[in-house]
Amino acid sequence: MRKNKIFLVFIGTVLCLTFFTPKTISAAEVKLSFDHFYDHAELTKALKALEKANPQLMKVISLGKSHQGRDIWAVILNNPKTGPAVHKPGFYIDGNIHGNEIQGTEVALYAVWYLLKNYGKTELATRLLDEKAFYLILTMNPDSRDYFINKAEAYRTGLIPYDSDRDGVADEDGPEDLDGDGFITQMRKKDPNGRYKAHPDDPRVMIPVRPGEKGEYTLLDDEGIDNDGDGRINEDGLGGYDMNRNYAFNWQPNYVQRGAGDYPFCFPETKATRDFLLAHPNIMGGQNFHNTGGMILRGPGAKNMGEYPIADKKIYDYIGKKGEKIIPGYNYLIVYKDLYTVYGGSIDFLYSVLGIYTFSNELDMDPYFFFPVGGQETGEQEEDEELRRMRSLAERLEEMTYHDLVLLGEQFSDWTPYKHPLYGDIEIGGVKIYGTRVPPLFQLADTCHRNAAFCLFHADQLPRLAFDKLAVKKLERNLYQIDISVKNTRVTPSISAMAHEKKLHRADRIKVEGKDVKLLASGQLTDRFRGITRKVKTREDFIWIESGVPGFGKVDYRLLVKGKGSIKIIYDSLKGGYLSKTVTLK
Amino acid sequence: MSHRLICSLFLFLSMAFVLAAQPGELSFDIYHTPKEVNSFLKSWSSKYPQLTKVISIGKSSGKNDLFVFRIAAPAKGSPDPDSRPAVFVSANIEGVHPVGTEAALSLIQKLLTKYGSDSKITSLLERRTVYVAPLLNPDAAYSFFARIRIERRRNNNPVDDDLDELIDEDGPDDLNKDGLITQMRVKDPEGQMIPDPKEPRLMRKADPKKGEKGIYKIYTEGLDNDMDGNYNEDPPGGAEINRNFPHDFEYYVKAAGLWPVSQKETIALVKFLVSHPNIAMVLNFSTENTFLNLQQTGRAKVAGAKVKVPQRFASFLGLEADKEYDMKELINILKEMPIFGGMEINESMIAMFLGLGPAMSIDKKDSPYIEAVQKDYKDGLKKAKLAYPEKKAKGVGKGSFIAYCYYQYGVQVFSSDLWGIPEPEKEPEAKDALTVEKLKSMSSEEFLALGEEKIAAFLKEQGAPPNFNASMLMNMVKSGRVTPERMVQMMEKMPQRPAVKEGEHPDSYILKWSDSVLKGKGFVDWKPYKHPTLGNVEIGGFIPFLKTTPPPFEIEKTIAFHTDFYIDLMGRLPRLEIKETKVEALEDGLYQVTAYFTNTGWFPTSTAQGVRARTSWPIRVQLKTSKGQYIFSGHSLVSIPSIGGSGDTKKAEWTIRGRKGSKITISAKTPKLDTVTTTVVLQ
Repeated sequence: MRKNKIFLVFIGTVLCLTFFTPKTISAAEVKLSFDHFYDHAELTKALKALEKANPQLMKVISLGKSHQGRDIWAVILNNPKTGPAVHKPGFYIDGNIHGNEIQGTEVALYAVWYLLKNYGKTELATRLLDEKAFYLILTMNPDSRDYFINKAEAYRTGLIPYDSDRDGVADEDGPEDLDGDGFITQMRKKDPNGRYKAHPDDPRVMIPVRPGEKGEYTLLDDEGIDNDGDGRINEDGLGGYDMNRNYAFNWQPNYVQRGAGDYPFCFPETKATRDFLLAHPNIMGGQNFHNTGGMILRGPGAKNMGEYPIADKKIYDYIGKKGEKIIPGYNYLIVYKDLYTVYGGSIDFLYSVLGIYTFSNELDMDPYFFFPVGGQETGEQEEDEELRRMRSLAERLEEMTYHDLVLLGEQFSDWTPYKHPLYGDIEIGGVKIYGTRVPPLFQLADTCHRNAAFCLFHADQLPRLAFDKLAVKKLERNLYQIDISVKNTRVTPSISAMAHEKKLHRADRIKVEGKDVKLLASGQLTDRFRGITRKVKTREDFIWIESGVPGFGKVDYRLLVKGKGSIKIIYDSLKGGYLSKTVTLK
Repeated sequence: MSHRLICSLFLFLSMAFVLAAQPGELSFDIYHTPKEVNSFLKSWSSKYPQLTKVISIGKSSGKNDLFVFRIAAPAKGSPDPDSRPAVFVSANIEGVHPVGTEAALSLIQKLLTKYGSDSKITSLLERRTVYVAPLLNPDAAYSFFARIRIERRRNNNPVDDDLDELIDEDGPDDLNKDGLITQMRVKDPEGQMIPDPKEPRLMRKADPKKGEKGIYKIYTEGLDNDMDGNYNEDPPGGAEINRNFPHDFEYYVKAAGLWPVSQKETIALVKFLVSHPNIAMVLNFSTENTFLNLQQTGRAKVAGAKVKVPQRFASFLGLEADKEYDMKELINILKEMPIFGGMEINESMIAMFLGLGPAMSIDKKDSPYIEAVQKDYKDGLKKAKLAYPEKKAKGVGKGSFIAYCYYQYGVQVFSSDLWGIPEPEKEPEAKDALTVEKLKSMSSEEFLALGEEKIAAFLKEQGAPPNFNASMLMNMVKSGRVTPERMVQMMEKMPQRPAVKEGEHPDSYILKWSDSVLKGKGFVDWKPYKHPTLGNVEIGGFIPFLKTTPPPFEIEKTIAFHTDFYIDLMGRLPRLEIKETKVEALEDGLYQVTAYFTNTGWFPTSTAQGVRARTSWPIRVQLKTSKGQYIFSGHSLVSIPSIGGSGDTKKAEWTIRGRKGSKITISAKTPKLDTVTTTVVLQ
C-alpha cells in the first residue's frame, strides 16, 4: 500500500518536474538551480552572490575552519529596518552534519534563496524576514561533502584521522576503487559454499539461501583490500566518528554511543555550531537535515533523561503533524521510541540545553525504502519469517526496476570480474553513491521546496507577541495603575516549558523606562474580570514574567507606577521578541 | 582577630620561606600558594633539566597556569618520556584540598632527590614516566590564601547563577571583618533551625516530633548585593571542576557546569590525557578516598544484568519482548543469527544497540586487583599509625575526574584524601560485646545464641540501615540464607557509615577536635552583628577549609605515608616481555612459530573496563616476514586484548613457509606498555 502511494507520488513528481525550470529573475536576484549538488566552492560562490544581491538582508560569516581548512559558512537573515536580530525570535537550520547526507545543504540554501527572492513579493516571505531572524549553517561537514561530490566517496564522519580498529594506527585500512570505475561498490565471489545465490528473475540481485539449500556466492565487503594485514578489510577508513553524537546533552562515550568523540564538542565543526548558537540566544526554533527515510523527528534521543514536558510535546505535535501534510509520505516520529537510541545528538542539545524547539528531518526515501516505523509494532502480529523474506526479495527486484527504468541505469554498476589480491577471482558491482539515500536530481527541487516550506511554517509558528491592551489609570498625583496584556498569536510560547522548568535561560520581563519613573508594586491578573491579582516580586523598574506568554494565549499584568509624563513600557523576551510602546501618565 | 594574626604570620613565614628556599629543601609544615607551587616547578626543572619538564596544558578560567610536571630519567633503551608507560598524579582538583597539592609536591621532591640513590625509584624513572599535576583548580585554590578566606570549589568562569543578566554580582561578604566567610543566623518566624540542646554552638533542624519549634534561618555571611531579596545567590565563580567530567554527569546542576567537559580546566585535562595514551594509571589526591570507599554515586545498572529487548527489535530478531535475557544468553542467540554475518557480538555492542547506557559499577574482573590494593593501604595506615576516620571516607563523586578516568579513560585509578578530622576515641567496648573480628570465626549457632539485644547493639555500632534489624538478620541466619562469615564479607563491601550516637550532633566531634587540638580556632563563636537588611543577626560557625585541611603540623606524616604508597603502586605497573619463543619444524620449509607474551608486572595490561570502553589498546603483535617467507596460517597482525598480572602469559602463533635458517621478527606495541621485539630463526 504504502509503497504504491510512494511510487505514485514519485511518478507525479517526475511529471511535474518535467515542466519545472527556475524562472528567470531580476538583476537583484541570483539564479540558483536546484537540480544540482553544490560542492563547497560552488556553495561559497552562491552564498557570496546572494549576499551581494541582498546586502541589507543577508550576512554570510565564517564560523571557523573545518578540519581540512574549509570555511564553515553561516548565513544570518534579518531586516535591520524592522529592528535588530536579537529582538526577534530566531530560527536555526543546519544540514549535512553527516558527510554523506548531502541534500540538507541544498534544502537550507533553497530556504535562503526562496525568502530573499520573495521578499517584498509574497506576504509570508516579507513578514518572516521582517519579524524573524534566520540563522543557517548550510553544511556542517564541508570536508566530507567535497569528498562525496568531487571524489564519489561517502563518509558519514568528519575527516580527522581516527583509529577505528584500535590498533594504534589511524585511517590505515579504508576501501579502494579497485576496478577504477570511479565508484566504490561491492565485492562478491562465486562460491559453492556461499550463503547467497542469484535471484532467478534478476541475477544482479543476491538472495540469502534457505537452510540446506546450495549457495552460489559469498558477499564480501565494500570494494577494497586488507591494507594493514590484520585479516579484516576496510575496517579503518577515513575518520570514523559521528558528529551528531558529539553534542553535550546526554553525551555518552564511545562504548555506549559509537562515534561520540573524546568529549562533547571536541570537533572543530561541532564546536563552531555550539558557539554560533550560544552567540544568538534569541533562537527559538530549529531544524536539522539528515537522510534518509522520510521522517520528521523530534527528541528525546534516549529515554534515560525522560520525555519532554507535556506542554512542549503539544507544540511539537502541532508543528510535526502539519509537517506530515506539507511533505507527503514523511512521518512525524520520536527518535528514541520509533527509531533508535541516540546519545549526544544535536536536537537534544538544542532543546534540552538551549530551549530551542528542534526537528530533524530524514530527507527522502528510496522508492523501495522500508523501515519498521513506530506505531506499526504494537498490536501488529509478528510477521512470518517467510513473508518477510518474500517482501524483502520483492523490494530488491523493485529496486532494480527503479534503477533500470527510472534512473536509466546510471547509478548501478553491473557485476564485472576482477582479480583481487586476496580473494582471487571476484566480481565488483552494485549501487553507486548517488543511487541511494540522495534524491535523483530531477527530484531534488521537490525535496528542497517541501522541506523549506516546513521550516517556514515552523518559523511562522514562533511566538508573535503584541500588546493587546495598555490601559493607564490615574490613582492619585503621580501614582498610576497600568494594565498590560500581551498576546501571542502563534502556537509557540515565548519560553519553552523545558526552559522554564530547568531554568535554562532568563525569564521574560516587563520594564518601565522614563525619567523618575518607579515601579511600586505589581501583580499578575489571574482573573481579569474580577481584577484578582497574584503578587509578583517587583524590582525598581521591572518584573520577571517567569513562564512567558503561552502559545495562542495571553498574560495580563497590573503595575503600580510612580512617575509622570511619557514613559516606555517594554515587553522583553529573550527568545519571543521585543515590544515597546510609549504611554503618557496623566 | 587571632585569625588575622595567624594569617599574617603565615604570610610572613611563607615570604621568608620563598626567599630562603632552594628546591630540594622543601619542607611540609606549611601550605604553599599557587604562585609558590609554580615557582617550585620552574626551579626544579632548571635544577634537574635531564629528569624534568614543565608542560603547560592551558590556563584556567581565571587565567591561572595549569602545569603538568613530567619526570622521567634518560636511560639506554628507554624511549622518549611521552612514549613510555606512565602514571598521572593529580591533585587538588576540587580547590579545597591544599594538602593534596602539598602531597604532589612532596612526591616530586622524593622522586627527584632519591633518583640515583634509591634503586626502586631509579629503575622506575628509567623505565616509566610520572606526570604530576599539583594544582588542577588554581582559581579555587587561591581562595585558601586570599585576604578573605572562603571555601569554594568553583573556577572563575563567570556564570549568571540567578539568570538576572548580572554576573557574579551577589557573593558572600566578610561582614565582621575576620577574614573568614562563615555563617549568619537570624531569628525568623519561618526559621527551621535551632541550636543543638547539647552543644548550642551547633545548629540543627528542629524536630517537631520532639515538640521543637524552629527559631533561626541560616545564611552564608553576606549582603543582598543586588537587592533581589536573595542572599549570596550569584557568587563569583562558575563550575566545580571535579563535577564537570562526563561519567555520571549531573545535568541541570549549576555547580557541575552546563555540560560535561565545558570548563577550560576539564577540557585541558581531558585533552592532555587523550593525547597521552601512554598513561596507564591515575593516582589522585582529592577528598575522595577510593582505598576506603569505592562506593559509586550512580545508580547500579546494566553491566551483566538481565535485559529486556524492546518490542520492535524483539520481533525483528525473533526474540520475546517480555522475557528478561541474560547478557550471555543474548550474545549466544545473536551470534547465531545470519543477519549479523558472523560479526563479533559482545556485551558493549548489545548495550549500545539496546541503548542500555554506561557501566555503573566496577567491572568484576577489576575488583580483585582493587581489593588487594585497598587491603595493602589499610594495613599500611595501621603500620604508619595514622589515625584515620575510615568510616567517614568519601566515595567516588558524580562527574568526578576519577570516575572519568576509570569508566571512560579506562585505566587503573586510586584516590586518597590524605586526612580527615579524627573521630574521638571510642569508649572501651563491653567485654562481651560483639565485634567484626569475633563474628568472623563464629558459627551460625553461636551467633544466634548472642540474642537479639547484643546483635541490635552491634548493628547500630556498625551503622546498619534502620530497616536492617536484628530479628530480620536472625531469621536469615536461622534459615541458612546467610552465615556469619558471609555477613562479614558483605559488611566489608558495604559503604561504611559513621555511627552517630543517639542525640548527638553529627558535627560535634569536629567541634570537640577544634576545641582540643586547635584550641578552639576551628570555630568562630556566634557574635551579634547589625545587618543592613536582615537586622540583628549573629555571625559564626566552622571556619572555611576546616574539614579538608589538616593543621600544618599534621601534613608531613600523612603525605610521607601516601607518597611512599603511591610510589609503590607505580612499581606495580604491567611489564610486557616476550619470555619465550618456539619454532617447530613441521615439514621441510613449514614451521610452527609461537611467541609467549608475559606480563611480569603486578597489574594486568589493561583494566577490564578499559577493554569494555575500548580505550585501552589491545596488544598489537606484528610479524614481519622477509622475502621468500609466507604466512600459511595466522595474520601478520594479531591482537591480544589483555594479559593478567603477575606472570600471566598469552601466546600468538603462526604457521610459516620459508627457507630454513631465515629470520622472522616479532614485535608487540601498545601505547600503555613497553615495546618488545624478538627475532626467531626458522629451523
